[in-house]
This record gives sequence, structure tokens and C-alpha cells, in this order.
Amino acid sequence: MIFIKIFLIVVLSVVFLLVAFSSRFRTYQRMSVIFFYIFLAYLILFPKVADKVAHFFGIGRGVDLIIYLAIAILSLIVAVLYAKVKMDERAITKIVREIAIIEAKECR
Amino acid sequence: MRPKDLIVVVDDGSKDHSYAQACLEGVHLLRHVVNLGQGAALETGIEYAKKMGCKYVVTFDADGQHCAEDIERFVQVLREDKADIVLCSRFLGRAENIPTLKKYFLKVAAFVERVLTGVSLTDTHNGFRAINIAKFPDFSITQNRMSHASEIIDLIKRLKMRYMELPCTIRYSEYSISKGQSMMNSVNIIVEYILAKVIK
Repeated sequence: MIFIKIFLIVVLSVVFLLVAFSSRFRTYQRMSVIFFYIFLAYLILFPKVADKVAHFFGIGRGVDLIIYLAIAILSLIVAVLYAKVKMDERAITKIVREIAIIEAKECR
Repeated sequence: MRPKDLIVVVDDGSKDHSYAQACLEGVHLLRHVVNLGQGAALETGIEYAKKMGCKYVVTFDADGQHCAEDIERFVQVLREDKADIVLCSRFLGRAENIPTLKKYFLKVAAFVERVLTGVSLTDTHNGFRAINIAKFPDFSITQNRMSHASEIIDLIKRLKMRYMELPCTIRYSEYSISKGQSMMNSVNIIVEYILAKVIK
């Protein structure tokens, strides 16, 4: 039990460091990431708490609650990333088009 | 070729020698440094034509299925201001060697398009079009890949363009069939189309 806890905390911390210190966040976003980190670390250390929360929402086990939440959050992330990819694609199109028009040549 | 015409060729990031080979006399040659898709290439050509002060744009599929002789008839309609966009229909004209399955498939596509947009065309996915861009500077394609055909129909509706269909000759050679998109791609087109509607 202690090993899996250490493993999870390490993985969570690495992700946290990557996310929290990437410069693209506003303060309130960074704050919520930090609170989320503390919340997850707390759940890893005291898994029984998750059971209580799950019970409150009428779900059997804490683990189930976490799985449901994880799926919902991951889906949301996919949607956000998809929108970002589309935006990047639009920017790339603009750049490529601009270059094509600037470098147009008339063959003779 | 008529003297005042401007031929624009857009090389959409080809990795073979297309760019060098397309460099024929009088051709304005543009190149995308990376591949973006047919819709993007069309829009690049249209934007270039606008910049060069062109009044009309005629788009042409590059696989040799269209005939240059048809251009004059199409532009004539624009010149006489009988329509703002003229589309080619292979079902009004002579379609040589059109595969039977493809024929019915295109008819279904046209029907779906009619139900969705109210624009009544017999052939929605035909690359041969003449557009009056001087009158409609807002005519621009944002769908990079294959959904641009549906997008053009949306544009017709949104910009309230007067449209007309004329017959034109399509030659289905072995080359153009091998180059054409497979019909299964329509699934992708529909998904792209819906996504574009949902995510602006």
C-alpha cells in the first residue's frame, strides 16, 4: 500500500510541476491547479475519505467516484485540446497561405 | 487561352516534381510549404486572384477531368450578370465513363445538401465553378480539406448569391478515377461538416 502511494504521489507531483510552472497560466488557473493537487494528494494518502465523499453522492466506492471524475475530466481535456489544435491549424493555414502568395512566381 | 486570363496553380506541398512541372509559360505558380488540403489550396488561389485584381475566378480540378473549352460559357454568364456563381453539373452534361455507383452516390449527396441548405443543385461535389469574386469579396473558404464543397453551398446561401448550374463535360479517365476521393471519405466530410458547425 505504501509503495503504490509513493508511486502515485511521485507521478502526480511530476505532472503538477509540469503544469503549474508552464508559463501559459493565469494566476487563478495556477491557484486552482495547486488546490487540485493538494486535494488529490490528500485522497492518495487517505483513501477512506474518497469513500465518504462517494457515499455522499450515492456511489459505492471512492475509487469508482474517482474513475467517473477522471473520465469526465479527461474527456473535457480532449475537447479543449481539439479546439486548440483547430486554432493552431487555422494559424498554420494563414502562415502557409501568406508565404505562398508572397513567393508566387510568374513562369515564362 | 484568352489573352487577359491569369492561370494560377497552387502546389499543395507536393513532395514530387509537380512544382517544377507546373511551371509552364504564363502560369502563376504558388506553393504551400506543407500540405493543407484541397479547400486550403482553392482559397489560396482565390485570395491570390483577389490580390491581382481579378473579377472572376474559375476553379478547376487538377486531375484532367474538366475541359478548358467550358470556361468561356461559364464566364459569359457572370459577365452578363445572370448569376454570381456558376457550377458545373455532370448530370446536365455529358459525363464520360462515370462509374454507376459514383453516379447514384453523388445524387444522394446532392439531395442531402438540398434538404440541409435549401440550395437546389444536381451536382454538389464538382470542382468546376466560376465565381464573381469582385462582387463577393467575402467569398472565402475556411475548410481546409474536403468539406469545402459543402462550405461553398453554405456560402451561396449566406451571401445570398445567385447560382446557376450549367452542363459541362467530365472525363473519367483511369487517372482521374485513381486520383478522385473514395466514396468512404464522405463519412469524414459529414463529420468535418458537423464539427465545423458546432465549433466555430
